[in-house]
Amino acid sequence: MAIDQVHDLQQVYRKILHSMSRPGTISSIQKNVESVDYNLPCYDATLLSAMTLLDAEVTFHILSDNQHDLIEKISDYTLARFAPIDKADFVIVLREDTEATIQQALEQCKDGNLIDPQQSSTWIIESSLLSNNGELTLTGPGVQHTAQLHTSFSTALWQARNERTKEYPIGIDLIFADEASQIVCVPRTTSVKLMGVN
Amino acid sequence: MKAETHFAFFDEGSKKEIRRAIMKAVAIPGYQVPFASREMPIARGWGTGGLQITLSIIGKSDVLKVIDQGADESVNAVSIKKLVHETTGVELTDRTEDADIIQSRHRIPEIALTKEQIIVLQVPTPEPLRGVEAREYITKRMHSEYDYSGAWLILFEQIMKYGKTATAADHPVYVNHRYVMAPSPIPRFDNPKIHQSDALILLGAGREKKIYAVPPYTNVESLAFDDYPFTVESFEGMHCHLCSGADVFLDELIDHTTGETIYQCNDTSYCMERMNENVNEKEKAEVEGSYA
Repeated sequence: MAIDQVHDLQQVYRKILHSMSRPGTISSIQKNVESVDYNLPCYDATLLSAMTLLDAEVTFHILSDNQHDLIEKISDYTLARFAPIDKADFVIVLREDTEATIQQALEQCKDGNLIDPQQSSTWIIESSLLSNNGELTLTGPGVQHTAQLHTSFSTALWQARNERTKEYPIGIDLIFADEASQIVCVPRTTSVKLMGVN
Repeated sequence: MKAETHFAFFDEGSKKEIRRAIMKAVAIPGYQVPFASREMPIARGWGTGGLQITLSIIGKSDVLKVIDQGADESVNAVSIKKLVHETTGVELTDRTEDADIIQSRHRIPEIALTKEQIIVLQVPTPEPLRGVEAREYITKRMHSEYDYSGAWLILFEQIMKYGKTATAADHPVYVNHRYVMAPSPIPRFDNPKIHQSDALILLGAGREKKIYAVPPYTNVESLAFDDYPFTVESFEGMHCHLCSGADVFLDELIDHTTGETIYQCNDTSYCMERMNENVNEKEKAEVEGSYA
């Protein structure tokens, strides 16, 4: 069954919006993933998130050097253009990307400015299985008390992310997707504390 | 000829652009995200901002409630409901607790909203600093520099003139200790409902081409001075003449036959619900009484 560009994407959007307004809340898009009949070197949840948010008005970047085929496919499906990391509106991180590449990209990506903080990059990141039993403690808008989270991001990557969101409202917003078609978001307002690190 | 409209009226490209603006608005609470406001089949200033948000987020299984100044059945609310229903086929409701999406003009319902609900507020003037500065690029800079002396000055001048802050509605708020935001022309009575709300609050200004948001569990503080604390409208000793409800926002009306001042719930669905409850209880008592 093919993806329903109207209803599947609307449902995925609402899940992303729910998770973005409630950082640390894991949403499942399993039902919509069943309609994905493409065979691409990325998670179905990654593809659906990209199809939900990307169109001809925005640009995207994929970190890996040898994913020309995927770049072309995403461009074809969404009409979004590929752009270098410092210009891209959306940054897509695949499972194969190394810590060093991600870290470098975190330092180079767009984070907006004080006049237009919305001109920042949104990240769609492939992670190992997401769970609420984890090393991260989230607080901030959208979190009632605190939330626990586990992603595949290492301590160094979280520190790099915290560095880029230090000058709020400047910052970046992250969407994590996993193999089980779960989605979780960490917007720039969320304070992320790592266990054992102050 | 009547053309078949696309689901939720908009083309998918328009929805995507508005959806992206909403995401940024959620990530930067209280910040007004510019967006390409579309031409709508209703006039600008009649809720096009709210309508564009509603149409961009609504899905087949959603239940929609639309209120206009507390009323489910005023012309504006009915027209918006009809448009959304005709282009999506979604179910409509008057009951606040049954709705997934509530589009509202100038009120937040009396019944506490839940985690699963989204309230969409229509905004005429999104810029809280417009009263002191007419130029958009200057107000944008003021927000970026956290320069809110203008917002304080407006309140200060009101105190000088009237001895109190005289904002009848749209009393400015600090969101997440960073942005000063116009909460749309809700009465001051509703301001505390935005603070640490369970529901997501989205605000849309169609004419001014701005979308902004307050995510759930976000600190929202009404601007006030230490010696002139923020107060809400007081309805002490008054109650609704229909459902006898108290501790809610009441409208002041004149009884045309007696010429007396009477009060009535502003939230019509809340009032109706209470009246039905009262009737049911009365009937129950009568039935039980007749058996005795």
